[in-house]
Formats: sequence, C-alpha cells, structure tokens
Amino acid sequence: MTEVLGIVVLVCLGYLLVTNLVYVVLVAIAAIENGVRRNETSSEDYGMLASSRFTIPVSVVVAAYDEETAIESTVRSLLALDYPEYEVIVVNDGSNDATLARLRDLFELEPYEMFVRRVFATEEVCAIYRSAEHPNLVVVDKANGGKADALNAGLNVARFRYVCGVDADTVFDRDALLKGMRLVVQDPARVIGVTSHLTIARDPEQAMAAPPGKRPIDGSPLLAYQHLDYLRAFFNNRLAWSKLGFMLCSVGAFQIWRRDVLEEVGGYSREFTCEDIELTFRVHERFLREGRDYEILCLPDNVGTTEGPDTARKLVSQRERWQRVIDETVWHYRGMWFRPRYKSVGLVGAPFYLLTEVLAPAFEVLALVSLPLALVLGVFDLAVFGVMLLAIAFTNAALTACAILLDDLQSRTYRKRDLARLLLLAPFDLVLYRPLIVWARLKGSWRFLRGDKAWHKFERNAREAPA
Amino acid sequence: MDALVLRVAILVLALALPAWIALSLAVVLGRLRYDRRLREARVDELRPREAARLIRRARGRPRTEWGRWRRVAALTRLARAHDLAAPSLLHPVLADPDPRIATAAIRSLGDLGDEWAIEILVAALRSGSAPRSRIAAELERLAPAPGLRFAPLLRDADPAVRFWAATLLGSYPELAQENLIALTWDRDPNVRAAAVETLGTRSGDAVGAATLARLDDPAWFVRVHAARAVGHVLGVAAAPSISRLLADEQWWVRSAAKDAFRGMGSDAVPVLLPVLMDADPFARNGAAEVLQDIGFVDALALEQPDSPLLERIYEAGGEGLRDAAEHRAEARRPSRAARAA
Repeated sequence: MTEVLGIVVLVCLGYLLVTNLVYVVLVAIAAIENGVRRNETSSEDYGMLASSRFTIPVSVVVAAYDEETAIESTVRSLLALDYPEYEVIVVNDGSNDATLARLRDLFELEPYEMFVRRVFATEEVCAIYRSAEHPNLVVVDKANGGKADALNAGLNVARFRYVCGVDADTVFDRDALLKGMRLVVQDPARVIGVTSHLTIARDPEQAMAAPPGKRPIDGSPLLAYQHLDYLRAFFNNRLAWSKLGFMLCSVGAFQIWRRDVLEEVGGYSREFTCEDIELTFRVHERFLREGRDYEILCLPDNVGTTEGPDTARKLVSQRERWQRVIDETVWHYRGMWFRPRYKSVGLVGAPFYLLTEVLAPAFEVLALVSLPLALVLGVFDLAVFGVMLLAIAFTNAALTACAILLDDLQSRTYRKRDLARLLLLAPFDLVLYRPLIVWARLKGSWRFLRGDKAWHKFERNAREAPA
Repeated sequence: MDALVLRVAILVLALALPAWIALSLAVVLGRLRYDRRLREARVDELRPREAARLIRRARGRPRTEWGRWRRVAALTRLARAHDLAAPSLLHPVLADPDPRIATAAIRSLGDLGDEWAIEILVAALRSGSAPRSRIAAELERLAPAPGLRFAPLLRDADPAVRFWAATLLGSYPELAQENLIALTWDRDPNVRAAAVETLGTRSGDAVGAATLARLDDPAWFVRVHAARAVGHVLGVAAAPSISRLLADEQWWVRSAAKDAFRGMGSDAVPVLLPVLMDADPFARNGAAEVLQDIGFVDALALEQPDSPLLERIYEAGGEGLRDAAEHRAEARRPSRAARAA
C-alpha cells in the first residue's frame, strides 16, 4: 500500500516538476519576445498611424447580455478610441435587464432599417438602432442566442474588413485599436488574428480613470491574485506561444480577426461553452491543414481593463466555465495532437494544453488525496513535506515576479506600492488562491464529462453610481 | 523516497527563492529608476553620453532578433533627436531581411524627413523592401515634398508600384491627371481601383467620364471605388448610372452605391423613386434604405403619413423599415407639437 502511495506521490511531483520546467522555458522565450516587442513599440509612431488614411478600418463588435451596469463605460471608452476609421456595433443579445433601455437613453438611439449581409445564421434580429449623437455607433437588438450568436449577428452588420470582438464589461485604453492593429497594418496578408494583454479590476472604469503609472491595482486579495493570474497567462504563456506560432487563445475580451477568415471558417460556433478559444483552434486547424502562411499574435500592450469577479463564488463560476471550454476544445480538436502536419500547434501547443490544463485536475485530485494520506501513513516526513511546499510556492512566486517584471517593463502602468504588494502576495498564491482555482477546475472538468454547456454567467459587481 | 524528494525540493527552492528575490528587486529598483528619470523629465531627452551609447549600439551587427531590435530602437531615438549620425546608420538596417525591422527603419526615415530620406522612401516603395503601406504612410506624412516623384512611378512595370503611386497622388490634386485617367484602363484591377479612387477627389469632365466608365468594370472592387468617385465628381448627374449598382451582385458595390446616394442628399430623391418599383429586390430595398437615411421617409411620415408615396417606400423597404420609421415619427411628434406651442 505504502509503496503504491509512494509511486502516486512521485508521479504527482514529477508532473509538477515537468509542468514547471515547461513554464520556465516558456518564460525565457516570453522574455525575449517581450524585449523584441518593447523595442518594436518604442520605434512605432502611433500619432502617424492614428492620422494615416492607410490605417485599416475596423468594426468593433460588442456582445452584451444583461450588462446594464457595465455597458455605458464600455461603449463610452470605445467611442473615445483614437483610431482613424472604425464603427462600434453593440449587440444586445436578448438581455432581461435594462441594457437596451440604457443604451437608448445614453446614446440617443433611433431605430433604422439596415439591409445587412446575412452571412451567418443567427437568432432573429428584432431591431437595429443608430445613434443620433455618434454616427459610428450601431446597436443590434436580437433574440437571445448566446455570445457566439451575438458576435455573428454583429459580423453580419459589420462594414469593415477587420473586426474586433470585445466584451461588454471591459473599459479600453484610447489607443487599444492602434496597438492591436499596428502589426496587421504592416502585413495584412499574413496577420489574420491579434489579441493583447488585458488587466482586471472590480470596477474597470474607476481603475482606468487614473493615468498610466498611477493606476491602482484592486485592494482585495482576490482581485490581486486574479490580476497576477492574468499577468502570468499573458506574459509567461501567450507571448511565448505567439513567438512559437501556437497562439491558441485569442481572448474574448479583445480579439481582432480578418473578416474573410471568419467567413471562411463559418464564424463563431454556438456548439461550445465559450467561443474564443474554439475559434482560435478552428482557424489554426484550417490554415495548417491547407498549408497556408499566417500568424495569430498576442501582444504585450495593455489595451484595457475587464471586470473580475469580486467574490470566491463568482470566481469559481467563471473559472469552471473556462475549464469546461478548454476541455471541450482540446478534446474536439484531438485530431491535431502530435501531428506534424499541424506544426507547433499540433506538436507543442495542443499537447501543452492537454498537459497543463486538461490533465491538471486529475493530477490535482490525485495529489489532494495521496499527499495527506502519505503524511498520515508516514511515507513522507512532515519536514520534507514543508520544504516541498516552500519549493512549489517560491517556484510559482518566481514565475509570477517574472510576469510582473515583463508587464512593468512594457507598460509602466501601476503604482510602485501596488507592484510591491503583488510581489509579496505571490508566494502565498499556493495556499490563498490556488485552492479556489483547483476547485473550479474540478467542477469544470466534471461538468465537461457530463456534457454541460451552459454559460453560468457570474453576477456583475456592484459599481459606484456615476457622479 | 524522503531523501530523493527532499533533495529535489531543496534544489528547486535554492533556485526559486533567489530568483524570486532577484526578480522582485529588479521590478522595484527598475521602477524607481524609471520614475526618477520621469520626474526629471529625462525619459525622452538624449544626453551626449546616451547618444554615444546609442550610436555604438546602432553601429553593432547583432545576430539575434532581440539585438537587432535594440539596434532599431537606438536608431529610432537618434532619428527622432535628429542626430547627425542617424542617416548613415540607417542604411544597413533598411536592407535587413526581416521586413518588420526594415519597416522600423522606414519609420525613422519619416522622422528625418529630409530630401535624402524621401529619396530612399521612394526607392523602397519601388523595390518593396518593406511593407508598401507603411512606406506610403511615411511619404504621405511628408507631403507636399515627395509629390513630384510619384508621377514617374505611374509608368512603373510593377503594378504594386503603380497602385501606390496612384493612391499617393490623392493628396496632390494638381498632379498627373492625364496619367491617372490612362490608368483607369490599366490591366491590373488594383491599379484601376486606385486610379479611380484618386480621381474621385478631383473634378472636370474628363475625370467624370473616366470614373463613369469604370462603373461597369469586371472587378467588383473597382466598381466600389467608381461608385463613390462618380458620386463625388459628377454629383446627381451620375445618379441614374449609380442606381444600376443598387442591384449589383456584390454587397460591397451595393453599399458603395448607397453611400454615393447618401452623399447627394435630397437631390437623389427623383432618381431613387423609380427604383422603388425595380424588379430586383436589392435595388428596391436599397433605394428605400437611402430614402430613409437621407431623411426623406421621416419628413413624409411626419408631414403626410397617409401619402401613397410613403406606402410605396414601405412596400419596397419591408416591415422593418415601416416599423422603424413609424417609431421615429412617433418619438418626434410631441417635440414638434411642443415647439409649435
């Protein structure tokens, strides 16, 4: 019995060691990519891009469902973007709250008939509104069909050849589109998709009110740990994936796509719990299968702040959904695993997801059961266990510190004292935050196995009333 | 097993703990240094020692991508500060095999902006050594200085060069009109589209005739530019010709035709009314949509809600157009009554 237990514990520790080694390699690659992008950004002329008629126009599509508290700040930030030519299409996906009424009141909407292309089948569009105040704002009111369906309805209305799908709970920097489009403008034939770094706050509007360099990081440890999670995901992972040619998740909160690519692959799919990661996989699969030259990039530029759940219950609900969609997508595209035809996506990216995301809950359960048992049965000495925990905590903390460093080198966004707080919080992630994520992942995996595809949207945070 | 796990854990800890401390110090100290320089307003300032360091870096021949980008960043700072060493240092970077690095050098040429830089930008436009859209953006930024150099490019053998030359001439309404008219018959459809688009910013009978002829171009994107150009050049005189495009098979062309009509405003109404009875549904609802967008439907709905003409528009535009118009009219009525009072 103890021998078996010992082997199980060793397998769990081996898994941990291997995944962390992979992360260290990715961090090294991400650091190089961040350095390249930083130098590239410093030689960019955003003023020229913002005024040039050769900067490619973009349709920004916002999918909104029950977003009455967040929609105003999102749309206002989009209407204030510094970009030569763009339109904002807000799709009200059959909200049950006052989302549409607020939009109507705030932006002087009037109904107009528009004969749009029906490239993608969607739920019925009830009405289309234009703003008397902002000529580049269109609001589509449609029957509820989920986020993917709402984005497809927005694509039908979109006039331009690039579309940027964004979330309705995110507040954007004025130059978000310029940052996102700068590499597309250089090589529109190859760069078919771009995503960029977003940060998190309980109230994004408040967080974005401060100028860069003085921007606060939410005081709540739960939000601070989510902030760290985002930093690690973007700076330690996605930058490296982008460099290695397997950017596997163009995040829903900010994803730029060439419209003809979306048309070619059939738009956003309603068959999955979330739309973003699956679409990215589908585009990779299609382009690699056909041997086409393309790039999907992740940039380190901070383009906005999205709303993060402010209670553990909401966080678990969000993260279990993320786990489910990862499981659904990786399983659906299992034909790409380890296939040389799919290059780095098939040989590295998909197996990486399999190892670090899909299989993680299984190892976590195994570790949760076997480690205490091993302690009780004396397979492990308590002191050894303590040293091991410290090693895991500081490995995690070092990786986190690296993400903080890469972010600060790139954007210099946050206050010094907040950076110091994040650095000090990092070693305690293992005991204060990770258990929640483990629980969410277990729930998500269980629901995936049961075939649950419901969205389980987390309730929006209460925000301060506008002055 | 204890011993093995302990050894590995200690090894990992011995690496991770100093790494965490070092990285944390790097964050805090790096930020303190940056903030100090920001307070002293020295972030963008180029001091002699710094300039010398940047020149050394720009002279290097780095092999790694990172190193090459550091070199470009150094060059950019030197060019923005108009350092005398910048032009000679830029030359080798322009020939970098990585197009993104060559593009960054192109941007620096735009910062320099002198005759020498313009000469190199035009040569790069010709050779395509960097993305032509970025070269064109820099050349446009330097207007009017490069204008006279574009006309000869209209005769270049490479259609991409002809395309960009025709496009860039959009900022020079007095230059190369005859050549541009000739290019509306170019064998390359992209060149025809660019020539028509540029001619759309000009005026005159010859320009009008040239753009009108392209409404029947076999390439749909040429028809898109032609519809918009003809609308600008000939105005309502071109409306009957543009109305044919409301039934075009391509959505982009129909959309451009509608844009052209919207630009004409109420002058377009007499041409659009007969289209409401067209056999093609795209033409019918396109005409109704434009009448809605230019305010004609709203005016009728308020002044003559029972008019047969309004009914005809509703029939062409469908129930959606009717509902939207009635909703708008309803919303406006009280305010008009209040104004009258």
